[in-house]
Amino acid sequence: MRVFRPGLLAVSTLIPLALLAVLVFLTTYSWPAIQFNGLHFLTTETWNLGNLYSNPVKRDGYEVAVGATYGIWVFIVGTLASSAIALILAVPVGIGVALFLNDYAPQKLRGAFAQVVELLAMVPSVVYGLWGLEILAPLVLTHIAPFLERVLGFIPFFSGAATSGYGLLTAGLVLAIMVLPVITSTLVEALKRVPNELREASFGLGATRAEVLLKILLPAVRVPLIGAVILALGRALGETMAVLMVSGGALNYLPDTIYSPITSMAAFIASQLDSALQDPSGMAVRSLAEIALVLLIIAVIVNVIARLLTSRIHIHRV
Amino acid sequence: MSLNLSRRTQLKAGLAVAGLTLASGLFVVPAQAAQVTLLETGSTLLYPLFNIWVPDYTKMHPEVKITTQGTGSGTGIAEAISGVAQIGASDAYMADAQIKQNPNILNIPLAISAQTINYNIPGLNNKHLKLDGPVLAGIYDGSIKNWDDPAIKALNPGVKLPNHTIVPIHRTDGSGDTFIFSQYLSFSTPKWNDSVGFGTSISWPAVQGGVGANGNPGMVEASQKTPYSVAYIGVSFHKEIAKAGLGTAMIKNKAGHFLLPTAKTVGAAASGLIAKTPADERISLVFSEGADSYPIINYEYAIVNSKQANPETAKAIREFLGWAVESKGGNAAKYLDQVRFIALPTRIQELSKAQIAKIQ
Repeated sequence: MRVFRPGLLAVSTLIPLALLAVLVFLTTYSWPAIQFNGLHFLTTETWNLGNLYSNPVKRDGYEVAVGATYGIWVFIVGTLASSAIALILAVPVGIGVALFLNDYAPQKLRGAFAQVVELLAMVPSVVYGLWGLEILAPLVLTHIAPFLERVLGFIPFFSGAATSGYGLLTAGLVLAIMVLPVITSTLVEALKRVPNELREASFGLGATRAEVLLKILLPAVRVPLIGAVILALGRALGETMAVLMVSGGALNYLPDTIYSPITSMAAFIASQLDSALQDPSGMAVRSLAEIALVLLIIAVIVNVIARLLTSRIHIHRV
Repeated sequence: MSLNLSRRTQLKAGLAVAGLTLASGLFVVPAQAAQVTLLETGSTLLYPLFNIWVPDYTKMHPEVKITTQGTGSGTGIAEAISGVAQIGASDAYMADAQIKQNPNILNIPLAISAQTINYNIPGLNNKHLKLDGPVLAGIYDGSIKNWDDPAIKALNPGVKLPNHTIVPIHRTDGSGDTFIFSQYLSFSTPKWNDSVGFGTSISWPAVQGGVGANGNPGMVEASQKTPYSVAYIGVSFHKEIAKAGLGTAMIKNKAGHFLLPTAKTVGAAASGLIAKTPADERISLVFSEGADSYPIINYEYAIVNSKQANPETAKAIREFLGWAVESKGGNAAKYLDQVRFIALPTRIQELSKAQIAKIQ
């Protein structure tokens, strides 16, 4: 008995310790890169490992490859833009599916449908990537992009022809499908927990079904909804494999249309690590670690914002 | 019910048989004694060759098990240094600074390869367009945007080039193909040399719409799926290139001639550099002298640590690589012709053997 409690305590401290360890490791490992790159790291668009076939030189007191510059603005934009597209598409659809499952679907279908949603959440991301690469990318090039250009071409970011099927739109679509089950399943659970009295009372007052759903149920689950959106955003921001496969691996330029190739931070770390390891000065790998640190910080910021939003709503209700 | 029973007995019998096979398998393996396992990883250009070498070699040497992976030359070099792989495959030799940091790493040529410049221009893929270094550099740095650009027209009089944006495709993984392609651009185009240079992973100039792809298979795939694209692809993928219906360009060499990679033009390009190859065999064969020299060729390297973990592994590597460079072994026409590589000349074979002997 006496071992049990300290044991549990030890096990549960592992979690914050792991996070701390990752943070400390990334910071200390990338420290020379942070010093060398400065704030330019976040704001410039050129990533250049430099000439790895000439001898490293000293610059600002650090040994680096000749001509090396590390700027990740392109990857930050790619990451945020693809995640934003994913959420814009997946949140309304996810809410719709959850409402349908909760209130409209025949009782028998509900269980089966919920199972399918759960299953979708468990499909490995490389499978989505492969589907995106083989099916979605050609479809974007030949049908989806021309259609969007025709219909929404008056909006600047939608005009201009797609030159390949890989890019922001394709990555956003794949991510949307990946995060959809996260949103739906969280919301379905939350809707189940809304007291039935609330629903019955509303119907009793003569509200229509649509009114009950949109004005009573949805506001009642806004806290879990924000949680679900943040979970989805977390998954989209960090998604590596699927984005790597369909993003088009853009380097050194920002997307000028929604069809342009992009690169996300996570995908870039994965694809560049082996090249970076060949830098004898080691600055390239440390700069990749700095990207990882930035990604982690973005994730923390997103979480903190979510906390603030949900707590404010709580206060409102009280 | 009876059906159920019989099914169950069948199942039981099946399980028993499976169990027996498994058990006998477990007992057989130790009896075979000291099987050496080698991991080869890296260059996707070399991968098809290893894939036809390994089954034949392991049939003759059942005591060796060789796993092959096409992961890109960058990974090949990195994993040979870290010791994850015993043989790293690379189309690029290692830089001086990297050798200085890892003095035990050997760069051993196994064969001579070439690279093709391919394109997907609907209606023109059955024609061999003529391209040179400055035009390719222009396409990859964004100064040449359309297929009907005057610079491309000037090289291809009489060809009706489409007024369509060019999509240049490059490798996202660390790649020996990127290395030799960017060397061709650097050696033929001073502007590219000054602004970009060469390497297994370079900072591609900003070209709106430019696409990155992973490995040679990814290059073929992206090019096939993207009309009006251009890509650089290892010659060992000639079957996949043909299947994808891509066009292959004639490339201008140093002497000013436009050539396709054939046994003759690749051999001619190599011959001039045989005598110049140093003992550690790290030398570029790109853009060499000679009227018949195809400009983008290279040695295909095995990157190996000369200090192996144990003598058995070292011996297995020595024997396998020794067989690979032998004209009657891995360098025989029956293997190399399939991937359109050419065999090592005698002097290079000797140099490679001398390096292989250092693996302990």
